[in-house]
Amino acid sequence: MSGITLDLLALQLFTGLALGSVFVLLAVGLSLIFGLLTVVNFAHGAFYMVGAYVGVFLLGLTGNFWISLVFAPILVGTLGLAVERFLVRPLYGRGIDYPLLLTFGLGLVLVELVRILYGLEGVPFDTPPLLRGAVDIGIGYFPLYRLFLIAVTALLVLALWLFIEKTSYGLIIRAGARDPEIVRVLGVDISKVWLIVFAIGTGVAGLAGILSAPMRSVIPDMGSTVLVEAFVVTVVGGMGSLIGAVVAGLLVGVVVAFTSLFWPDFSDLSMFVLMAAVLLVRPHGLFGQKGLMG
Amino acid sequence: MNKPMENVAEVQISGRRLASLVRVVAEHRVAAVIVFLMVFPFLAPYKALAIDVLIYGLFALGFNMVFGYLGVLSFGHAAFFGVGAYGTGIAMVHFGVPWLPAIFLGVLASGFTAMVMGAMAIRTRGIYFAMVTLALAQCVYYIIYHMEEYSGGEDGLTGVSVRTVDLGIATVNMMQDPMGKYYIMLTFAAVAIFLFSRILNSPFGAVLEAIRENENRARACGYNVLLTKWVTFVLSGLFCGLAGALSAIHLSVVPIEYLHYHQSGLAVMMALLGGMGTFFGPFIGAMAFLMLEDVITLMTTHWQLFLGAIFMIFVLFFPRGIWGSILHWISR
Amino acid sequence: MTPELVTDTNIIRAEGITKRFGKFTALNDVSVSFPRGQLTAVIGPNGAGKSTFFNVISGAFPPTEGRVIFEGCDITGTPQHAFARLGIAKSFQITNVFPELTALENVRIAIQAMHSRFDIWTPRGRLTEMQEQAGDLLDLVGLREHRTRHAENLAHGEQRALEIAMALACDPRLLLLDEPTAGMSPEETLVMMELITRLADERTVILVEHKMKLVMGISNHLIVLHHGELLAEGTPDDIRENDEVRRVYLGQGSH
Repeated sequence: MSGITLDLLALQLFTGLALGSVFVLLAVGLSLIFGLLTVVNFAHGAFYMVGAYVGVFLLGLTGNFWISLVFAPILVGTLGLAVERFLVRPLYGRGIDYPLLLTFGLGLVLVELVRILYGLEGVPFDTPPLLRGAVDIGIGYFPLYRLFLIAVTALLVLALWLFIEKTSYGLIIRAGARDPEIVRVLGVDISKVWLIVFAIGTGVAGLAGILSAPMRSVIPDMGSTVLVEAFVVTVVGGMGSLIGAVVAGLLVGVVVAFTSLFWPDFSDLSMFVLMAAVLLVRPHGLFGQKGLMG
Repeated sequence: MNKPMENVAEVQISGRRLASLVRVVAEHRVAAVIVFLMVFPFLAPYKALAIDVLIYGLFALGFNMVFGYLGVLSFGHAAFFGVGAYGTGIAMVHFGVPWLPAIFLGVLASGFTAMVMGAMAIRTRGIYFAMVTLALAQCVYYIIYHMEEYSGGEDGLTGVSVRTVDLGIATVNMMQDPMGKYYIMLTFAAVAIFLFSRILNSPFGAVLEAIRENENRARACGYNVLLTKWVTFVLSGLFCGLAGALSAIHLSVVPIEYLHYHQSGLAVMMALLGGMGTFFGPFIGAMAFLMLEDVITLMTTHWQLFLGAIFMIFVLFFPRGIWGSILHWISR
Repeated sequence: MTPELVTDTNIIRAEGITKRFGKFTALNDVSVSFPRGQLTAVIGPNGAGKSTFFNVISGAFPPTEGRVIFEGCDITGTPQHAFARLGIAKSFQITNVFPELTALENVRIAIQAMHSRFDIWTPRGRLTEMQEQAGDLLDLVGLREHRTRHAENLAHGEQRALEIAMALACDPRLLLLDEPTAGMSPEETLVMMELITRLADERTVILVEHKMKLVMGISNHLIVLHHGELLAEGTPDDIRENDEVRRVYLGQGSH
């Protein structure tokens, strides 16, 4: 009896990691944007949703999942670029809440635009043929697509880590500088860094969206629950921390997965209980510091 | 964020008639709002709009204490509105409590929610507060969602009905007499508006402004900033709870959407549209919002698109809001 | 722990204060006493740890190790907002006022903190006593004619004077000033120094400065910090003749 339960637990762990991978992608994007720009992107869920829909569009256009997977985040990132340049940037001089408020309004607009284009009903997105089915991972059969999801997330986190640790843009991000003076010394145009950070942050959200598309219904509202989840993960992990985003994302995913095994009725509450515990013990999050990536 | 423009005595106003009218109005702000609201049903295109302006004006007013006066952005105020509504509704539907004490229970419940949420969120740094309060309010959403037996779950709570209100000298049929209903609700709102003004005008109100201006300085002066913020949060929750309670009685239902963060967004938008940190702003914002919504939904189902765009325009170009911009223009 | 007697001639003592920020040690085992009723200046070159020391004894943050004893009581780790009621007031290195409130309101609200912090009922207009007291304090620092101007519209030197008025609102026995003349013109500096000397007659004043010449003339007692450690302390004459201090400040020793 216990052997089966152990395997089941281990499988559920993997389910948690897969769920957590989406959380990691969302939290990383959110933290990146916050760490450098001190902007809490309330449109983050909307960018995630747009990523899924752009994926739908590209898939319909090309019939190829892999092309869609590569280009959807790029297109979403480009949108993010434009948003930073024309909507968010004018607000940097004002109080810290203004960019947040703007992104909130933007979220409403993006969701409604998608409703206009695609209607209120869900849109199907099939799992690519190559990634269908389940694989025997020793402890049981696990959906191949979810393994793929975990792998892509790991690769992306690695790529991001390299970018932040090894490039001069990354140095600026780590310093958390929004002060052009400090940065001019490095010979880099700070406004380019703002653009890049916003583009990467939203692009990663879009990636999370298209990766999630085969696993859940693609509807215009899919971003609103996700925004809350991203916030919870960020509160747990600590805002502006890459490690925090990764650890907290996986932790929350695993906690939710196990809760849905033992107390399925309360799985949606489990992440909030975790967040409440963290708030009481470490209000800045597990890895939270003062707006630095690291 | 924005300073209250109400200290009209200190602002250089040109000697124009309009300016002195504004001055008089600002000095008797409670009376001004109440008189306007008494007259409003006759000006409004239809009665239901008047009650909505009352309810949402009160919601935005309560929210504005934290947002405009204390200078802290919360995205969790839906929890107070929703708990006020559910508290009142559950008391009436499941426990047979009469409507008047039920309103008090609803307000108390939202106050309690604010105490707990505040205690958990208040230690977070300024910019995180919006995120944390949103997440905590969403937690309240799920908790109430799960209490299906009492809350009705996804379908919401129905049957929160008050048929008649016996005032001794007259009886108001709440179901068929929208005007009577309006004036009964206005009584509650009027008391709330008076209390709100009193709080802002008190020494405590001065502390709020000081914290908004410079938190570290306030602390060095000797003010316990954390405790003050928490108290403000709770007071704010009480006002929003009253708005929710009135809404439950008005609609006879409490939809679960009241607890979703979009509802919090409504308070934020109305407060900003009207003018943060101004006394009249919330009601003006509620009025502008609701009338705009009515007009635009006549022409299209995609109201959110226009709402989002208009809100972004205000954030970018008119952060003072309608009333705040008027005050600013007059003071030149 | 034996209770300290309040006949202690030192109003505030730092015992073994060490402050680390991560791997960086800003203060290392600094033990120093400040005599009551005197004007003591804490000096040292830039980077000596003066501001960190100031922040520790003024309650901005607790030391990593060590204690702060005020009038015989251990106040280490006391939250910042409790300091005013203890009788310790501070001004900040970078001007820190309430920008969009009037000068009068700035001071009035500082006074209010001593009387009423959670009164949500009384109309403010009735609190005329505090308004008068605020006016008196503005007189003291020479800002009477600026009382209705918004603090952000005052000149730099006037804002610094406003801060002093606010610090005096709690009638402090100990006044802590962090580089009060920073960014001031020579005329403004003179006025400020004269004000500080006047205040030192009635209260204990601790001044942090890096301009040595400024404080030599007015201080009774000097404390010199260097690289986070106590270098020397004594009267201005003692310090003037101290070889190590001369070496550190002027780059020369005596032979």
